[in-house]
Amino acid sequence: MRAGTILRAVWLIVAVGFMLLPVYAMLVVASAPDDTDLRGLVFNGFHLPENIRLLFGEANLPTYLRNSLILCVGTGVLDVMFSAAAGYAMAQLSFPGRRVLFALVIGTLALTPMVLVIPVFLIVKELGWVNTFQGMMVPGMISAFGVFLVRQFALGIPKELLLAARVDGAGEFRIFARIAVPLLKPALITLFLVHFLAQWDNLLWPLIVANEQELWPLPVGLANFQSEVGFNYHLTTTAALVTAVPPFILMVALQRYYVAGLTFGGLKR
Amino acid sequence: MSVLDGVRARPQATAGMLGRGRTRPQATAGVALTLPVAVFFVVFWLVPFLAAIYLSFTDYEMAGTPNWIGLANYERMFADPGFLNSAWITVVYTVCTVVPTIVLALLVAVPLSKPGRLNRRLRALVMIPAVMPLAATSMVWVIIYSDRGMANTLLGLVGIEPQSWLTSSDLAIWALVVMVVWKSMGLFVIILTAGLQALPGEVYEAAAIDGSGAVTTFTRITLPLLRRTLLFVLVISVAGSMQAFVPAFLLTGGGPADATQVLPYYIWANAFPYEHMGYAAAMGMVLLAAMVIVSALQFGFLKGGDE
Repeated sequence: MRAGTILRAVWLIVAVGFMLLPVYAMLVVASAPDDTDLRGLVFNGFHLPENIRLLFGEANLPTYLRNSLILCVGTGVLDVMFSAAAGYAMAQLSFPGRRVLFALVIGTLALTPMVLVIPVFLIVKELGWVNTFQGMMVPGMISAFGVFLVRQFALGIPKELLLAARVDGAGEFRIFARIAVPLLKPALITLFLVHFLAQWDNLLWPLIVANEQELWPLPVGLANFQSEVGFNYHLTTTAALVTAVPPFILMVALQRYYVAGLTFGGLKR
Repeated sequence: MSVLDGVRARPQATAGMLGRGRTRPQATAGVALTLPVAVFFVVFWLVPFLAAIYLSFTDYEMAGTPNWIGLANYERMFADPGFLNSAWITVVYTVCTVVPTIVLALLVAVPLSKPGRLNRRLRALVMIPAVMPLAATSMVWVIIYSDRGMANTLLGLVGIEPQSWLTSSDLAIWALVVMVVWKSMGLFVIILTAGLQALPGEVYEAAAIDGSGAVTTFTRITLPLLRRTLLFVLVISVAGSMQAFVPAFLLTGGGPADATQVLPYYIWANAFPYEHMGYAAAMGMVLLAAMVIVSALQFGFLKGGDE
């Protein structure tokens, strides 16, 4: 029994250690003064602040960071707003077209972006949105996942609560804003987090729709980083580290919402 | 406990006291609240999907107009070594990332889901690799796989010769697989741990009283009870692997010599740099069909055991 517990602890520490090893390597190489030691095992001084200063001063990292933040916060807020409205309505209101809309949402959950990027690109081109922020943002603005998540959550709002408000003479929009939205808050935070993290990592769409460096978000900037700093591994790694910081902060601040978002659909329904 | 649990457990709400009939204010509000989403899904999902089906039967090349060519794109695919190679690599890549990831994640999640201070701390640490952006992850692994990087250093300790992981056509795909397994593992450990923690404790107490060993408990109790979570993990990891574009794009650029040219990469390359939009759309359709079939099979396979 006791030996089993110790063995289990040792296994877990080794396993988690291996899972953290690449993260540790990132820290080591990102803090290196040059590319002489790329093993990522031992710190060779701690030049991380200088490296970051260099990237913020001489490379386009601040532009990429700004673009990524605009993209992720902007579309995240829009997704939360539209998904909250539609998800609530689909769960609690009776209106024409509800079934069709639900089928549409479920159907889009199954589609792969690889099928859609070509026609969506042609639509965006038709709209004259190639190389614009709206071109990068609008097609990914609302997610079927978001609408579905809010709907599932909103099914749990007690009918009597809404009915009582109606009897008291509250209008439907007022009920949505004053009663539903506060109750939906955990789902909305989860949705924002999931959306932010997914968008933060979105390389494919900006790569297709934005060729101008001024518009690039971090993933695209990072993919082309060698054109800025040359084959400079330690500075590329510093940039990668900077990229990982905002998701990390969000995850720490909103950990339980993150787990809720990940496991949504994985547990019993 | 998940934040969403309490709410999800409720039975689906029915039309309630108002019956099936709708009231005018509700109908108006319902339409108003869903209209933006409905328009959005039609413009950016439904229309593109139908357009993709249409394009897949044309020779559209970005410049010029699409001409209907019937099934020619689909016929061309099965004679195109590039497509066949990509399809095969996608199969290998999917199987070899999904199976080890789930097995390893289970091996970590089962002991990790037990209570205790050490486990609580380790669970928090596991989240770090899980939230690393894939782009940043790929940059780090490029360095791990470099000639003087961590992979060669650590393998050198057990007497393995240094390898050119990303530029050898035999090794590159495996280098990609290892990175993806590492990247997805954190995520799946979290999901599986949450699933394990939600299992009823009494069953385990009963099993312990009956003198059930660790292995028996795992195969007879944990695995069957965890089936839904496992199905979920399986479905998202297979779907994720089948559409994975970023690792191949960032780590190897599909190379060397097409060795890591997974299907999503081949579709992208055909559609954008080469502008063979019609052909790429047809390949997208085949990928979508494959994904739908594989998902249906997984649901059938794992649902089959229910009740």
